[in-house]
Amino acid sequence: MPAGAWVVPFAVGEGSLRERDRREEASGTQDPTSRGLMAERSLGRIDDTLLVREAQRGNRVAFEELVRHYDQAVLRLAMHLTGSEHEAQDIYQEAFLKAYKSVANFRFECSFYTWIYRIVTNLCLDHLRKKQVRKEEAPVATDPTGEQYDVLEQVPDGRSGANPERDLMRRELAGRIGRALEKLTPRERMVFELRHYHGLKLRTVGEVLNTTEETAKNTLFRATQKLRGALADMR
Amino acid sequence: MKCEWVKENILLYVYNELPDDARYELEQHLARCSDCTAELKSARKFNALLSELPVEEPSPNLVAASRMRLQEALETTQQGGFWQRLVFDPGAWLRQVRFAPALAAAIFIVGFACGIGATYKVVTSGGGVSSVTSGAASHPAESSVTGIQSISQEPGSNQVTIKYDTVSTQEAQGSLNDERIQQLLLFAARNNYNSGVRMDSVDLLTQQPNDTHVREALIGALRYDSNPGVRLKALDGLGAYVKSDPRVRDALLEALMSDSNPGVRTEALHLLEPVRADSSVRAVLQRLAEKDQNQYIKEQARTLLSQLPEFD
Repeated sequence: MPAGAWVVPFAVGEGSLRERDRREEASGTQDPTSRGLMAERSLGRIDDTLLVREAQRGNRVAFEELVRHYDQAVLRLAMHLTGSEHEAQDIYQEAFLKAYKSVANFRFECSFYTWIYRIVTNLCLDHLRKKQVRKEEAPVATDPTGEQYDVLEQVPDGRSGANPERDLMRRELAGRIGRALEKLTPRERMVFELRHYHGLKLRTVGEVLNTTEETAKNTLFRATQKLRGALADMR
Repeated sequence: MKCEWVKENILLYVYNELPDDARYELEQHLARCSDCTAELKSARKFNALLSELPVEEPSPNLVAASRMRLQEALETTQQGGFWQRLVFDPGAWLRQVRFAPALAAAIFIVGFACGIGATYKVVTSGGGVSSVTSGAASHPAESSVTGIQSISQEPGSNQVTIKYDTVSTQEAQGSLNDERIQQLLLFAARNNYNSGVRMDSVDLLTQQPNDTHVREALIGALRYDSNPGVRLKALDGLGAYVKSDPRVRDALLEALMSDSNPGVRTEALHLLEPVRADSSVRAVLQRLAEKDQNQYIKEQARTLLSQLPEFD
């Protein structure tokens, strides 16, 4: 079958979906952002298998389409873990390049979603480990630790509105939580991130981290215990 | 003891990760135990506290910049898999061999049904169906659902994946001698859910019972079809071969002994008359004559036996 023959249906499918989204937005019957996201996500699931097969044949456009299905989630995760847009972007770049190089070896033994998360979490774990080593070597280093939450400080919190005092308290709180999270081991941090902040089920967390659901569960327990200890005075 | 168990599981309860029975048990306990209720409250509060560290959505600028940077890098990157695919990989080859029977079955079904196999995914949001798009968008919209294969929920979201088969109607015309028509008829006789269609195909097949495939299909219909009308039709087609083909005789005997429908049994009994002297037929007749629950069959068996020459 000629490689080009597969590309047409994607374009058609996407076009018609986006077209419908636009109509719904115009008629005002749906929340446009959530609706658009929905369509994008559903499209992602539907086309994944075909897109992966196309990407495996070397079709770069198909791969880029796959990237678009997952890249926001990848950035979200990497940003929350590293606390830095810059580092998140590096992880993003490395993860998708790695995926591109090895997509031919993807055997559909798990979902593409799990596979891509596996690559990203491995990179994030490496990143966390490196950061921990850096911290151990120079416990009073100001630069790396000072840099970690700059994103939070730069991004205005929409919830606080025009109340600067509350805003400040929130930031302080977020900073303390962030520091407590940093005290976890990279694996505990990762399990906690995926379950608590990104809503993955423990079964999926286990799959992504190449371990069992039971181990993921125990790691979550340990992480929560440690966090409770670290934030005891705030409860 | 009970409180200890609850305390161990309260975190999973908060994260909605407890299986239904454990959750029920825990809720029952919570209704009676104020200590554990306080524990749950505290766990929920702590959970909410941790959520004070917001998960920021990446800004559109960041997404766009990341995409552009990646695209540039992709242009100069070679996929690693190309040469690997040319090299013989025994592992991959074994995997393929392992799936060979499944693949053969899949090709068989696709070949016969001319359209089954396109897997569709339905994604629901908030309980309602939000969009349905075919796996290959070029498939016709008039395709209809024939069966649901699996339903699964994407963990951590409200997205549901439903795999279902669809069929698009196609037409085949030709003479009864046409091989393709025969194959479709054989397929219909074995696999169709509609007993009317099975009846028609068996009826047409009985016109050519010389073909061994056809005869096998008729025997199959007689043995396994759930519809007595179809079984009767198959019996009619097979009747003429009771003498020449021992498989046909055995199938008829089986129908006579164990078919749930008295009409089918009676017909089988009549058709077996020409071979009533065979020892296997005789044995069955004797058993029927002695203790069959159906009075008519009992009498008929007796009559047939009495017509047989006595053995020592």
